[in-house]
Amino acid sequence: MEGPGGASPLSPALVGRLRQEHEKVVTSCQEKIQHWKKVESDYEALQERLRTLPDKLSYDIMVPFGPLAFMPGKLVHTNEVTVLLGDNWFSKCSAKQAVGLVEHRKKHVRKALDDLQKVMKNFESRVEFTEDLQKMSDAAGDFVDIREEIEDDSIETKGKYRTAHKPHSKPKVSNAFEVDFPANGSDTKSMGRFQSEEELWARLEELERQEEIHGELDRMPDTVETNGEDTTSSEEEKDDKRTDLNGTYRAEDCITQGNFHKEVTNSDLFGVQVNGSTYYHSDDEDDIDVGDNSVPTIFFSHTVEPKRVRINTGKNTTLKFSEKKEEAKRKRKNSNGNGHATPELPNIKTPADIYRVFVDVVNGEYVPRKSILKSRSRENSVCSDTSENSAAEFDDRRGVQRSISCDEATQSDNSEGILEEEEEEGQQELPKKLPPSSGTTEAFSGTVIEKEPLSPSLIPHPVIAHPVLPTILERKSEEVLSEASEETTKRISKFKAARMQQTN
Amino acid sequence: MSGRAPRQEEGESAKLRRKEELSRRIKEQKVVVDELSNLKKNRKVYRQQPNSNIFFLVDRTETLSQCKNTLDELKKAHQEMENSEKAKIKK
Repeated sequence: MEGPGGASPLSPALVGRLRQEHEKVVTSCQEKIQHWKKVESDYEALQERLRTLPDKLSYDIMVPFGPLAFMPGKLVHTNEVTVLLGDNWFSKCSAKQAVGLVEHRKKHVRKALDDLQKVMKNFESRVEFTEDLQKMSDAAGDFVDIREEIEDDSIETKGKYRTAHKPHSKPKVSNAFEVDFPANGSDTKSMGRFQSEEELWARLEELERQEEIHGELDRMPDTVETNGEDTTSSEEEKDDKRTDLNGTYRAEDCITQGNFHKEVTNSDLFGVQVNGSTYYHSDDEDDIDVGDNSVPTIFFSHTVEPKRVRINTGKNTTLKFSEKKEEAKRKRKNSNGNGHATPELPNIKTPADIYRVFVDVVNGEYVPRKSILKSRSRENSVCSDTSENSAAEFDDRRGVQRSISCDEATQSDNSEGILEEEEEEGQQELPKKLPPSSGTTEAFSGTVIEKEPLSPSLIPHPVIAHPVLPTILERKSEEVLSEASEETTKRISKFKAARMQQTN
Repeated sequence: MSGRAPRQEEGESAKLRRKEELSRRIKEQKVVVDELSNLKKNRKVYRQQPNSNIFFLVDRTETLSQCKNTLDELKKAHQEMENSEKAKIKK
């Protein structure tokens, strides 16, 4: 019809549709009405016929023979009419009675007609109404619906979508140094923080310089397992500054326990010199150069330079080996008596004290143990104490299959993967190589051999520690050793090899 | 005007239908009249009872006259319709 697509709630299409429906109803009514009218007319005619029927005794008619044939005949008994009442019931009645019946039926027909007429009228009126409605909507004169369609969904969110990190992934860490300020609740280091920040910045600059200069050294596989972060983040006591050991330290950390504290950083710990500056601990590779002069580095007395060794861990991570550790181990071996975790029951006033309790003392140095919570591939947290006995074994064990993870970085990457540094330290036998060392070769002696002195055989293989329970460690280590011994030549860890070389 | 149009359309369509029907009936009546008028004298004419197959004998002449009357009436109606339409159009 007419209606342009106005903005009326009753769209012209709908209105037109409505109207069509109405009109349909009207036409149907009209048809019905016509039908009933015909019926009525028939009844009329019948009535007439019935009225005149008794006038004659008989009528000449054409009698239907079937649907198509006729026969001339006569209609007799003109006053007897058999009326169909419905449902195959008939009644015999006279013509007049039949007339009466017909009248009754006509009445019914009239009623139907009237009803139809009414319906038709009703719908006609509706049609008119819809027409008017359409007219109004078309008019669009007085009022108009203002509609604005929103096109896109861009408005939904305020800001960028933020994608959640994957469940077990660590948040991205920028290359910049991250200062993981110690979460020490005990020691309020707010002040220290500030200091550390400043120092950290200074340190950063230094390190950057150092890095530029000693690019190669820095670039040595220094990737340290994230233990570092744990270590650093965990109880850092002592210094406010985060003297996080960089690679060397980290290796230590990894090797040692997570409890590696700054304490370690204290120069006293490992008998090495530590530059005073603080290290930033970063989860990423050690950005910090340890080996340089100005940079706080730990120099082992036995070595010329601190070296970085990359240790392949079973987890595809590398640890940095620290000289310090080796030395510590060596010392341990030597001392051996100290292998055990020094029973430190005495006063624990500070977290550092606690630390010391769980630290192996090697020649006066505190070698932190590895946290038992650290993921060690099957590493035995318990073993650490029993290090001495096992230490020797561990040392032997080292070597071939040592997947040095942070956990395992305790250097005794036995297939069992135990061996904490303590053990190793206690063992100080570390530098043993499997083949040349004792008959009970250890899969991983627990010592980390430096890279440089590496012999080809020393290449650390990312060996997966065998799933051996720590308790059974020793036994299995023996077994493994036996096995390892066979392969010792090939698998000795480079660290061990280096160490052995050094010792040799 | 737009509002009236549909109604007129309806009326017009109905009228058209009526017109058509009228004209059809007129034709039929003409045929009947012609046929009746052309019958031989000895022929019998039967009229069918509406809505049934019974044919009653009727007189031919009477029937013819009746048919003619019907025809005339139809013609008149038709005329009237045309006149009314013309009148409307004129208006």
